[in-house]
Amino acid sequence: MLTAEENAILTETDADTPMGEYFRRYWQPIALSEELPEPDSDPLRVTVMGEELVAFRDTNGRVGLMDKRCPHRGADLFFGRNEECGLRCVYHGWKFDVDGNAVDLPNVPPGVRHHQTMRIKTYPTREYGDVVWAYMGPTMPELPEVPRLEFGLVHASRRYVMKQFVECNWAQAMEGDLDTSHFSFLHMPAPNVETTENRDANSPNRHLEWMRRDGRPKFDLLGHEVGFVAGGARVTDHEGELYWRMTQFMLPSHGTGPATVPGETYYGFTLFPVEDTSCWMYCYAWNPERDLQQAELDKFKIGHGIIAEIDSEYMPVRNKSNDYGIDRSVQRRETYTGVKGTAEQDIMIQQSQGFVADRTQETLTATDAAIVRFRRLLIESARELFESGLEPEPPYLHEAYRTRPGALVTSSDKELDEVLFERFGNARGLVS
Amino acid sequence: MLTTEENDLLTQTGPETSMGQYFRRFWQPVLLSEELPETDGDPVRVSVLSEELVAFRDTEGKVGLVERECPHRGADLFFGRNEECGLRCVYHGWKFDIGGKAVDLPNVPPGVRHHETVRLKAYPTREFGEIVWAYLGPQENGIPELPHMEFGFVAPGGRYVTKQLMECNWAQVMEGDLDTSHFSFLHMPAPSVPSNENLDAPADERRLKWIRNDPMPKFQILEHDVGFVVGGARATDEADETYWRMTQYTFPANGTGPSTMPGETYFGFTVVPVTDVACWMYCYAWNPERDLGNAEREKLSTTGHGIIAETDENYIPLRNRGNDYEIDRNVQRTQTFTGIKGLAEQDIMIQQSQGLIADRTRENLTATDAAVVKFRRTVMEGARRLAEDGEEPEAPRRHDAYKTRPGSWFASEGTPFEDVLLERFGHNRGLVL
Repeated sequence: MLTAEENAILTETDADTPMGEYFRRYWQPIALSEELPEPDSDPLRVTVMGEELVAFRDTNGRVGLMDKRCPHRGADLFFGRNEECGLRCVYHGWKFDVDGNAVDLPNVPPGVRHHQTMRIKTYPTREYGDVVWAYMGPTMPELPEVPRLEFGLVHASRRYVMKQFVECNWAQAMEGDLDTSHFSFLHMPAPNVETTENRDANSPNRHLEWMRRDGRPKFDLLGHEVGFVAGGARVTDHEGELYWRMTQFMLPSHGTGPATVPGETYYGFTLFPVEDTSCWMYCYAWNPERDLQQAELDKFKIGHGIIAEIDSEYMPVRNKSNDYGIDRSVQRRETYTGVKGTAEQDIMIQQSQGFVADRTQETLTATDAAIVRFRRLLIESARELFESGLEPEPPYLHEAYRTRPGALVTSSDKELDEVLFERFGNARGLVS
Repeated sequence: MLTTEENDLLTQTGPETSMGQYFRRFWQPVLLSEELPETDGDPVRVSVLSEELVAFRDTEGKVGLVERECPHRGADLFFGRNEECGLRCVYHGWKFDIGGKAVDLPNVPPGVRHHETVRLKAYPTREFGEIVWAYLGPQENGIPELPHMEFGFVAPGGRYVTKQLMECNWAQVMEGDLDTSHFSFLHMPAPSVPSNENLDAPADERRLKWIRNDPMPKFQILEHDVGFVVGGARATDEADETYWRMTQYTFPANGTGPSTMPGETYFGFTVVPVTDVACWMYCYAWNPERDLGNAEREKLSTTGHGIIAETDENYIPLRNRGNDYEIDRNVQRTQTFTGIKGLAEQDIMIQQSQGLIADRTRENLTATDAAVVKFRRTVMEGARRLAEDGEEPEAPRRHDAYKTRPGSWFASEGTPFEDVLLERFGHNRGLVL
């Protein structure tokens, strides 16, 4: 349970809020590279943490991200002309390059100071892993580098990157991932169904059965330089053996899928707030050892695991406005929710907590350990920055973001760090 | 640039605001006459200056404009029965005439004071130029006459009147019109297109070329009794000749189109706030010398032309905020500056893109914004004088001074603006005598 004040700190990310300032120390994914497909292509509206911006790819292929309001009289640059290395307002022709310099002010007489002083607010951008990232923080002597998430380091044929719109606050989407105990319920068959098979899930039937049987996994958490790893252990068919599912949380809002066994494809995601009541979830599947198979890619197109089925605007097809396509007779006879798709079940339940979950009204239990840890870490870090001016270190530890999540069946006498070492060759799941 | 306080003063027109009180000293268009087509026809909802009202044409053809809430228990009179010279609430049958008088209170026992005292707030209305106008101001000193705009005096065959909804504050619509320099950009072909032709523009290829070539027209402003006239002068092909485009601003929210050459059709409009984040633009085209031709009328009423947008049956522009004005990025690349079809729609797009209420604390004005600055200063001063000093504006009583014309003219280099007006209109402020 949080106080109303703590809940506000956790969930509000506009400029000049504690969490907003904290988030702005980190690179944020703001578009898929495919949304800006070629030089001089159409400008794109982007809203990030309450800031209304416009993105464009200039003639040289560089991505600009700027205030959407022209500094002359506030017309929306989204309607502007993207041409000859700049975005030009269609009202009076003012033109700005990706760095925010006014390169043409055709209705301003020569000699007027505007020609030297006029600028538009822009943010630095990078492309990494088929995603456009932006840094919206204060100007630093040296900008941090984009976090080296592993999906961005593998060959393009070994990854699949997409995004989906989530109609609620970013923090409850994050919490939904960290609490892996919900799998024993939300993603299960209806109670009267005998088989546990679930083609939408990334686990073999055997693992699903263990999850279904053990709704109280034991949680253990281990901190690392840029976040923590959460392990949930469930009983298996054999005494003396546990089924571990381990997920990574990396600051400020990166999560993973815990189901991957060695050789299989990994899943991760990054959330970034659009406003306090909505966020984008950038999802990536990657396999460090082989190209993704056609069968996998086909599955992703219709949704699989954390990836929802989306329309051409990246909006989940089953969403709040259609009650996620819930089918009550399917809920009675086939699945726990009657909602199709693991991702859609997550989206449904997270959004059902409200636009901004009211954490003053909850009742937590033992399996919520990772959620508590997450909140404490974020609220403390945001406060340290906002109240004491203590700059966070993780933005400068970009190599520490190369972590893996995953599952392992191993002997029940091992501690989480031993399980991690056995599974990943590193006691925190770091890839060296 | 304005302060936040000034921006609020300029943009807020609810009943308790300074600008709202100022606007209420002037007649406001509230409907097209065609929206109340017949006696005892359907009542129509009207929202004006943040007041929710209902209009009806009674059995005698007179137009009533009354508050929407029945004084009994607040039921909406829009659902009422318009019959026998009054609007009757369907809840308990209370009935009011166009003056707001309770003419029947069938559930009130005889002898009860209600029969004498109950009234519904009603505003005086007039019809002029196929528009229903209303006066929402105080009446202690009598009611002013309607502004004598020229379009209302020509024969119906010589005019076309319509309206279109704007999804933003009134003042930025007004500003968009007063800044005629934007024509050099917003309404132009894409830079790669050699031709200057624009069939949507009420100006020929030659004039459009000069507008395109000179994005820094020299602006001059001359005040008159009910506003001011703005002249923008651009270079032409001849070294000693200047192309002038002159537009009229009259209080509080009337504007014009500056393109008209003698003999051509004139364009004007009146902006009426619905709320602070929406307004109606009543548009009129008129020709004082002849009837509008069929082709001209057809263009105005179907595809839109000049300041007149293509609208649906509810007067909502077809290309609007909800569909991104149907911007076509390929057309923007290869054919027009915006990729949006229609001159009016280009204006609507850019004005609405400034936000529901433009934030004038964050702008950077330049020389060509002279008329924008003048407009703000003038109208804010009028509102402040009324609110702070109780000084009633004079313009509402100067109805004859509203008979002005806008237009274009060629003058030899160096001709003073006043003389250009005299040459073009026979009057040094563009007044029709």
